[in-house]
Amino acid sequence: MRVRGGILRTFVRDYQLWIMIAPAIAAVLIFNYIPMYGIQLSFRDFDFSKGLTGGAWRGLDYFRQFIDSYLFSDLMRNTFLISLATLIVGFPAPIILALILNQIRRKRMKNLMQTTVYLPHFISIIVLVGMMNVLMSPETGVIGYMMKGLGLGHINLIASTNTFIPVYVLSDIWQHCGWNSIIYLAALSTVDPQLYDSAKIDGASRLQMVRYVDLPALVPTIIILFILSMGNILSTGFEKIFLMQNSLNLPVSEVIATYVYKIGIISNQFSYASAIGLFNTVINFVFLFAMNAASKKMSNTSLY
Amino acid sequence: MRKKVVSFITVMLAATTIMSACSNSGGNNGGNTGSGSEATNSSATSGADSGKKVKLTAIMTKHPLTKPLKDMEWLQQVEEKAGVEIEWQEITADWDQKKGTMLASGDVPDLFIGPNVITDADMAQFQGLFQDLSGMLDQAPNVMAMFDAKPETKKIAEQPDGKIYGLPKYQRYWPSTATRQYINQKWLDNLGLSMPTTWDELYDVLVAFKEKDANGNGDPNDEIPMDWPGGIGGYFNAAYLLSGTGMTLTDGSPQGYFVEDGVVKNYLVDERYKSLVIFLNKLYKAGLINPEVFTHDYTKFQSVARGEGDTAKVGFTMGWVASDRFGEQLAPQYTSMSPLKATADSHVSWSYDYNSLNYGVNQIVMSAKSKNKEAVMRFINELYAPDMGMQVLFGSLGPNIKDNGDGSYSVLPPADAKMDPGTWKWTSTMADNGAFYIPDTLQLTLGKDMQEVLEQSKPIDAVTIDVDNDVFPGFLKYSSAENSTMGLNNTNVMNLANTNFAKWVTKGGIEGEWDGYVKESEKAGLKQNLEIMQKYYDDYKKQ
Amino acid sequence: MALKGLGGKELAFNIVLFALCAVIFLIILYPLYFIVIASFSDSTLVSTGKVLFFPKGTSLFGYKEIFQDSRVWTGYRNTLFYTLFGTLVNMLFTMPAAYVLSRKEFKARRPIMFLFVVTMFFNGGLIPTYLLMKDLHITNTFWVFILPFCVNIFYLIIARTFFETALPAELYEAAVMDGCSHFMYFAKVALPLSKALISVIGLYYLVGHWNDFFTGLIYIRDNNLQPLQIVLRDILLSNQVFQNGAGTGGGAASGGYAQRYADQIKYGVIIVSSLPILMLYPFLQKYFEKGVMIGSVKG
Repeated sequence: MRVRGGILRTFVRDYQLWIMIAPAIAAVLIFNYIPMYGIQLSFRDFDFSKGLTGGAWRGLDYFRQFIDSYLFSDLMRNTFLISLATLIVGFPAPIILALILNQIRRKRMKNLMQTTVYLPHFISIIVLVGMMNVLMSPETGVIGYMMKGLGLGHINLIASTNTFIPVYVLSDIWQHCGWNSIIYLAALSTVDPQLYDSAKIDGASRLQMVRYVDLPALVPTIIILFILSMGNILSTGFEKIFLMQNSLNLPVSEVIATYVYKIGIISNQFSYASAIGLFNTVINFVFLFAMNAASKKMSNTSLY
Repeated sequence: MRKKVVSFITVMLAATTIMSACSNSGGNNGGNTGSGSEATNSSATSGADSGKKVKLTAIMTKHPLTKPLKDMEWLQQVEEKAGVEIEWQEITADWDQKKGTMLASGDVPDLFIGPNVITDADMAQFQGLFQDLSGMLDQAPNVMAMFDAKPETKKIAEQPDGKIYGLPKYQRYWPSTATRQYINQKWLDNLGLSMPTTWDELYDVLVAFKEKDANGNGDPNDEIPMDWPGGIGGYFNAAYLLSGTGMTLTDGSPQGYFVEDGVVKNYLVDERYKSLVIFLNKLYKAGLINPEVFTHDYTKFQSVARGEGDTAKVGFTMGWVASDRFGEQLAPQYTSMSPLKATADSHVSWSYDYNSLNYGVNQIVMSAKSKNKEAVMRFINELYAPDMGMQVLFGSLGPNIKDNGDGSYSVLPPADAKMDPGTWKWTSTMADNGAFYIPDTLQLTLGKDMQEVLEQSKPIDAVTIDVDNDVFPGFLKYSSAENSTMGLNNTNVMNLANTNFAKWVTKGGIEGEWDGYVKESEKAGLKQNLEIMQKYYDDYKKQ
Repeated sequence: MALKGLGGKELAFNIVLFALCAVIFLIILYPLYFIVIASFSDSTLVSTGKVLFFPKGTSLFGYKEIFQDSRVWTGYRNTLFYTLFGTLVNMLFTMPAAYVLSRKEFKARRPIMFLFVVTMFFNGGLIPTYLLMKDLHITNTFWVFILPFCVNIFYLIIARTFFETALPAELYEAAVMDGCSHFMYFAKVALPLSKALISVIGLYYLVGHWNDFFTGLIYIRDNNLQPLQIVLRDILLSNQVFQNGAGTGGGAASGGYAQRYADQIKYGVIIVSSLPILMLYPFLQKYFEKGVMIGSVKG
């Protein structure tokens, strides 16, 4: 009884808050939740004549088909490795970049640098991969020349099982690091200048100021973004990997997303594709859930 | 894969609603050819000439180069004669992505046109979405005429249950293979070599190309002795060398399937393929194959062979026609070759691609939801008129085709002198992506490009191919379940094949890994697919 | 004096900083520079590695082709409208919600947040979504670019985190003492203090709309409604070679004419499509510079 009264009271008390959040809730309910009935497609046959939800119930058959598929372990391993590498190397990069950029005192140089680093974000993936092929060509590319010059010999960077992941991750950093650092730069801009002043009075060096003033200011943002990126542990950029694939790197570059695409396009297997997608999602969600719980315990920061 | 739109739906929406009242009153305006006019009269009342045309919607998956459909004179005539006005949505890219959503949501236009625009698998999966034309053909005498003159066109149109959802095309002019083999004759002459006839001789020639300055530009290292688009299977691929072992491929056997003495096989697990891979590995190790063969894209593959000015870069390769493969400037340096024998006493064959080049299935499909089925049939009938087919393929009478006045016609050279005939054709009309029928009796002189193709096909034409027993029949209609099983299996098999082929060619090691690979391929579904295909092949032969 | 003030350490720090920046600058800029020179150069030379530092075989063919196409201008107009209007709607939906979710006293925040987070992972798939849009009668209208998914949960979370960390509780208490309601506090205090946040989230949404390709692809059939990205892709493809083999298409068409310029157009398209949004950034950037929150909070 007390609880019910409590809820009612908060409605009355916070009616303004409810009004402010109502549009967002409505939008999410309509555009995100209504179509969710489609998820049952993973458990049903797709039968056009009976409508989206009318096909025969197959339970977990499609999931079983995927797990039993002989590519399953390869797909999981490749997907996981690529995501993990992207996370470990790619996640800290924009933080470091933001800290560096934030140290630049000359305004024009800072502007120039910021504008430059965020430019690559706008290159389409098709072009990016095309460019990589041109630049990394062992015969004619500028990187090929440089490697020859450094005595690294004749390595085809885009066609080797060993170099696929590094090339993928580094090009990803090149393209998105600057863009992703924007959010950290914005966070740094909210640091109270008095903190720097008092640190200076305490005799802190520039490096120490980065360590003790800037970095702590970023922590909440870092934690939130880290939790969110953990939720993508099995999500890899489909388009880029697909375009980077060639028969020489396929053993390491075939991931869940590209496989689903191949299956889906060839045989319109809506149910199978949907089941693989859902499988992927559930794993991601579990990771996010676990990360969020851990973070709630350790730092009292959480998504929800 | 194609997208592009020319529809003004917002404007048309209102118009369509108004016009739907007149949906059955289209009618012909008397311009029909031959027998066509009678059938279309059935539902036609008056008023066609007063501009009361039936409004239809249609999707065409056209080539990206193709100009807007509304600018095609012949198409205006077809619409005029059929008494329809079509609002075209022209798609040049990403059709597969659009299609799934469109079909599954049932939000479809009256008509689809394009090469296999709706596949048999789609028809099986989306039951009730597409119109069965088999009972309506009396409304399209021109289509009936095609079925009569070319019974195989009916065969490839019919589903196993006798229904016809999509109509095929027939164009007859294309050669029996898409792939011709080219060698740089000038290089051979420069180095005093004779034309290779076997794999081993090819090896020797390529070594000479590599070691000497074959193109004579002073740099002995810029020659690429051999090149293909990459991977295994498909047109212009190194797999065509398998013909030197007596194997006959079908349509380039993109997934390895071929027929030998009535038995369906797959070369990916054939000993002869193993010997080819060993041979290619030998070439690769000797530096005779473009090191980027597995990574370059088609653009680069093409541009490398175009060399620099008069200096050719590639010695031996495959392509559709020399002027396309090497550019007009270098093309004269190359000759089309006869197939190479694996060993001096091998029997040779080649790939038989005639069917896939000259026929096309499901080129035009009608929606079962269309409110104006008669009008759609009138349009289809006009499209399949005998004198329309060549215009669909090569362009309108006038700018693209000349009427010689004696019942014969000639394809005209491009109006834009900078353009090659192929590009001109694709720019001007629906070309091969359209739906049409060109009767064998039509007298048409082809353009320079097609004559070049036919000329360069001669060495291949000299090879005799037993079409009855060594060629896999095109366009078999599998059941929907088998279709998807085979699709799934092929994805897996090709994954294995591509990876291993690239590895074995570049690094070797096939001898030790072959047996394991064969077993794994069979497990991945190759065996199952061969059984299915054999069953359908046998049924086909019995007919 | 100032120089003396810089200790040896400080100097070393500056040198290292400068060197780092120079390296980053070059690594990032070279490939971009490459795109620019490639857009002016003969594409056969580009793909054979002849163009590395300076344009060769210069021509403006790519740009000419792009700008001659009237569809480009329609696309520009549409995209501009979708981007500006769409971002406005995004902000109207996102910012108030983020503010509400940052309020500790809002009891429903956890369940609502959970409701939102779930949608980052689970969706009904394309077909049910398409059917919904069809039933709402927004397919093939500009609304489909604006309304669906107007709240990006990722940005919502970022905005909420900002409000939580950058707006101290004392500030709100002080405002309440002055008789401030949530509406007023949000509009008069929270928003003005969050210019950096607004510019970041706004930029994210803006770029999202600008680059949106999929919506046009799936939901739009009318050419006059297509956004720039779709138009540019069309132009790109019409200059692409016959990737799937000349033979299937009946061949011979990949001819030198279309091919030679394909890449040039490709690179030109990147420049044409990203230039406007690139010019926007420095303008927004100035809001990062102002340590906006600080004065009123601690001062």
